[in-house]
Amino acid sequence: MTPLAPAAGVRAPGGLRVIDAHGHLGRWGAFAIPDGSAAGLVAMMDRCGVATACVSHLLAVGPDARAGNALLLKALAAHPGRLLGYAVHNPHDPEAAPRLRELLAVPGVIGVKLHPEVHELALDDPAYTPAFEAAADHGRVVLAHSEHDSRWADAPRFVTVASRHPGVPLLMGHSGLFPQGYGPAAEAAVRCPSLVLETCGSRMTARHLTRLVAEVGADRIAFGSDAVFLDLRIGLGRVLLADLAENDREQVLHGTMAALLSRATG
Amino acid sequence: MTIAAPAAAPVGPALTVVDVNRILGPLPNDDVPSRDEDGLVKELERLRIDTACVAHSHAVYGDPRDGNARLGRIADERLRPVPVLVPGPLGTGDWTGGGAPLVRLCPDRHGWAATGPYALGLTAALSLAGVTMLLDWGAVTAADVDLLAGTRPRLRIVLTGTGYRGLRELTELLDTHELLHVDTSTLAGHRQVEWFAQRYGAHRVLFGTGAPVSDDAGPRHLLDTLDLPAHDTSLIAGANALRLLGGGA
Repeated sequence: MTPLAPAAGVRAPGGLRVIDAHGHLGRWGAFAIPDGSAAGLVAMMDRCGVATACVSHLLAVGPDARAGNALLLKALAAHPGRLLGYAVHNPHDPEAAPRLRELLAVPGVIGVKLHPEVHELALDDPAYTPAFEAAADHGRVVLAHSEHDSRWADAPRFVTVASRHPGVPLLMGHSGLFPQGYGPAAEAAVRCPSLVLETCGSRMTARHLTRLVAEVGADRIAFGSDAVFLDLRIGLGRVLLADLAENDREQVLHGTMAALLSRATG
Repeated sequence: MTIAAPAAAPVGPALTVVDVNRILGPLPNDDVPSRDEDGLVKELERLRIDTACVAHSHAVYGDPRDGNARLGRIADERLRPVPVLVPGPLGTGDWTGGGAPLVRLCPDRHGWAATGPYALGLTAALSLAGVTMLLDWGAVTAADVDLLAGTRPRLRIVLTGTGYRGLRELTELLDTHELLHVDTSTLAGHRQVEWFAQRYGAHRVLFGTGAPVSDDAGPRHLLDTLDLPAHDTSLIAGANALRLLGGGA
């Protein structure tokens, strides 16, 4: 198993190697996360049959990208294959670009995490261009938080950057976050071949997921849970119990992200 | 490569599952399978939910008197009617839910003060009658809940839709008021259901989905994968609800 490859041993009931495209480690300021440890997340993955989670560290998403990214690397080293990492790029950090290139060369780091809402800078701002260029050069993916009606992270901004960097797979975290945003997210995905919708969020339902699959195709949707922000089992159950064709369910839970990781591993 | 069939697959003995927080009827902002009774029952069967406590959407999104009247048309015994009450002279009139063991209050939607004199009269009547009250966390403040539960210490309140961000406020309320319960509909934080059950006892956590507004599949799957003793899981899944409904110990 290469350090970039998903774990092979853990499988969901039925034998599928589930890949969680959107997870986190650590804690968050606005509310209590009782257990934000990597070991706790891996135990939860074992419990419900998730082979691999692609995570960023919440300290990096929040106040300190440098320190949080360092904690991420330690977690990846402790759980090779089970955890893969997104390095957070804070566009306000003058050293962000060279640091990101170093991080993307570390085994287990499969992409870049952008959070325009937290960093209060719109996704289509030129300050993110070095992050997309680094992802392109390393063959990595970009996962960005999306949020309907946000001045920082709404669907039109994803269209802009996906068109600007068509060679970089861009995961649209939360697919717009709110039910009113799922339609615009789907429209953006239809327009931009490099855009992949990701499923996590407390407002997403199995019904909405089924509609997204019908609108854009399962090969353009990747399962994400937002654990340890949210409970992994709830996001997973939403896909497991959705009224989907089995091949579409497998594609969402495994195939879409496996294809992106395969590309990232070269 | 295949995956388990979509029907929930419990790892232990089959659970009796009661959804305490569900709406029957059409929604103004979406097309949902539960727009009618047949559609709702099919959804319950697909997810292996045995019973659902349902308020009618006409009562939540329209005038509660009209919606409550539609509850009388429910034919399937798996659906337990939950009237929506409004206090005061312009309210629903019957302040104890017409004999229903579970009622729902929506002060935000129906434009009345959650802790005003009318509300306190309503909660006094519910407490005296032994009726359990569903109250959406988004419709009130923590101070409202503290006042209601504090003035009616025998009243059983189930806070629904608590979300995952209010853990700190919720703990203060649950530490203070013994008959305060929570449902699982949006208790979606990492291991939050286990955390609540271990701190306050599984008897204070009820399976509820808030469907179709919020997701039913995720919370349903959570029941089958809870990291709790089987007895606690069975309480959360349905035994607590049956106790409150008067159908079990």
